[in-house]
Amino acid sequence: MIQLAPLDWLWLSLFLILMIGTGVAFYRLARRSEADFFLAGRRLPWWLPAVSVYATHTATDTPIFVTGVVFLHGVSGIWYTIFPVWVAVSAFTSTRIFRRSVAYTIAEWQNLRFSGIRAEMLRGWFAGWQFFMSMFVLGWVGAAMGKITTILFGWPGWIGIVGFSTICAVYVLAAGYWGVVVADFQQGIIAFLLILFVSIWALLAAGGPAAVVERIGRMNSSYTWAVPSDLPPSSDYMLKIEARVVEAGVPRMRSATAGPFTVALGQDDGADPERPSFADMYAEKEGLEVLFPTTGDVLRPGRKYKVLWTPLPDTEALSLHLSRDRGASWAVVADRLRNGQAWRLSPFAFTGYVSGDFPLAWFLTMLVMATLGGLGVGTNSDWFVEAQRIQSARTLKEASFVMLGGGASVLLRNGMWVAAGLGLFSLMPQYAETARVETAWYEAGFRYLPVGMVGLFVAGIVAIHLSTVSTRLNLGAMYATRDLYHHYVKPDASERELVWVGRVSTAILLLGSFVYGMMITEITQWLIFAMWIMFAGVWLPNILQVVWWRFNAWGYLSAWISSLVFSWLVVWVLPLFGVIPRLPDFVQFWVLLVLGTLVFLPFTLLTPPENMDHLVRFYVMTRPIGFWGPVKAEALRRGLLPGEAGP
Amino acid sequence: MIKRDWSPAEADTWTREDWLAAALSVIAFVLVALGATYAFLLRPIGFVLLGTGVALGGLVSWIVGPKLTAVSGEYEKKQAEYVEQLERIVRWEDHDG
Repeated sequence: MIQLAPLDWLWLSLFLILMIGTGVAFYRLARRSEADFFLAGRRLPWWLPAVSVYATHTATDTPIFVTGVVFLHGVSGIWYTIFPVWVAVSAFTSTRIFRRSVAYTIAEWQNLRFSGIRAEMLRGWFAGWQFFMSMFVLGWVGAAMGKITTILFGWPGWIGIVGFSTICAVYVLAAGYWGVVVADFQQGIIAFLLILFVSIWALLAAGGPAAVVERIGRMNSSYTWAVPSDLPPSSDYMLKIEARVVEAGVPRMRSATAGPFTVALGQDDGADPERPSFADMYAEKEGLEVLFPTTGDVLRPGRKYKVLWTPLPDTEALSLHLSRDRGASWAVVADRLRNGQAWRLSPFAFTGYVSGDFPLAWFLTMLVMATLGGLGVGTNSDWFVEAQRIQSARTLKEASFVMLGGGASVLLRNGMWVAAGLGLFSLMPQYAETARVETAWYEAGFRYLPVGMVGLFVAGIVAIHLSTVSTRLNLGAMYATRDLYHHYVKPDASERELVWVGRVSTAILLLGSFVYGMMITEITQWLIFAMWIMFAGVWLPNILQVVWWRFNAWGYLSAWISSLVFSWLVVWVLPLFGVIPRLPDFVQFWVLLVLGTLVFLPFTLLTPPENMDHLVRFYVMTRPIGFWGPVKAEALRRGLLPGEAGP
Repeated sequence: MIKRDWSPAEADTWTREDWLAAALSVIAFVLVALGATYAFLLRPIGFVLLGTGVALGGLVSWIVGPKLTAVSGEYEKKQAEYVEQLERIVRWEDHDG
């Protein structure tokens, strides 16, 4: 538990006063118009929204997520954080197209890309969905903040969820997007510096970078074994490690057994993962030997433990086997196990082409999703945040720089976090439960930073949190105001009225987020669901709407509806009832993509294309990429593309 | 091979400079992330990767910068008209279908 000194409270208070002061300072600019309240009047130099992109995507749950994947996968875990490469493609393609549309939101873009009642249905759907998603994201980052403040300070969870978001709402309500980007600029710099300092301190605490690399290189082998919850209590269990070792060019089988040990129900966690023999994983022993579990250990069903054994040179294959009858018979628990821990230093430590918990197929799927997804509009949840920043840049060229600058700084930050995560792993490799290590980066900051910097670190954590909350408050309010109220409720509303509707929407979002924050407990589970699944079925349609003139609103509508149905069925419902097995996430993506295509493609081709006048206007305005031949030909025929040759 | 003088109409079309910039940027981004990790671990390869990533970023700017400037300059002249059209749509004054 962390105790803050008066000086720490002073740092934190000064920071919060600075943030609220920002809101007051920009109040007059924000109240001028809807465009000011939500896009800062489209007049920002690129570096302001770029830092805002960085700050927004640095949330309180991000170090939890990054630390978790590094503990699981080592440096290879960086691929879980490499998704922002989509902005590298987008910066030179879809960003330019979307910026030219001048649409406030992706909901408004629907009115430009599609026509008629279908476009209105899409706009309404996007607006409502994004309002809900903003509330949901606010709830989930609030829950992460609640978790952090509970662990670190022992505060009740609701303080983390409610307290800081409410402070943030003060400057968002007052200054809208002006307040968001200016505060984000300060928060982004503070957060970046603190991430840098804490990561360096974490590495130094682990003995320095060279010591971390050296220690990981000579650690014993381990496998995280989840003891099946239906394993009957008994004291006759044994584990065996089998290895094929090449000696003098000749492969030989080696094995080592452990136990008997006990599996029994109980109140505690069973064998202590921190006991000295387990924490001290540096093998000096020769030959194959299982170090954990050992005779007499008690394991609990349903819990995870790290089975530990000595590494062997020149090992070709390693497998883990379980016996329920003191070695009379054996069943394979896992194969393709890794030798030692040096693999954690490689970025390409895949567990197989399609097998294991980190297959090559997952990596390739993620790369395809990210890079090709950059061609589309709305291909992932971050797009909705970036769209606002793209439109707030003062020129089209600067909009590209917003994306490049924001994306590059996010990846630079991820690289630092991965290195720090590796250092933390070398300090506490014994934990099998991800929940135990997720907050390790935060704990390292409080444990190792020198006196006087703890308050700054708390301010940095608050900065990380506020930047995400402020963005989502203003973004959700923009969809409610621009797309729902202005377009559907009161099209002739005055600018003053629209700004006030923006403020009321912000307040509603804030209150709704408290409810969600109290409900969400499994952060990682929701994060992965939102990142992968909700967009899987519409990933391709989101690209097609930009690159294919024939794709129409009926196809897009059908894709969204089918995606919602299929994603819940494939991910939750069917596995729950045993109809299909629980699929790895990359398989879920491809299954949902195929199922969605089987729906939206017939819908597109069996319904008429969009109105040609509308398409020509869209083409001339945005100059989309890809297959727009008939529309371009029509635009040329009408003389709307001066200086360009006909087809 | 790389065109650096663009008329507004030429710059409005998609060319290999755009694709090259996008592809090189992806590589630069990956190199920056991996380079930062290994540079923090004080591995020489980290500094090499990071330096290469930054240099690629500079190359991208050299390749596509003039074209972006030409596209942007021409587009900015028309933006006010497009914003006006957008306002007509949101107020239902301009609607087809």
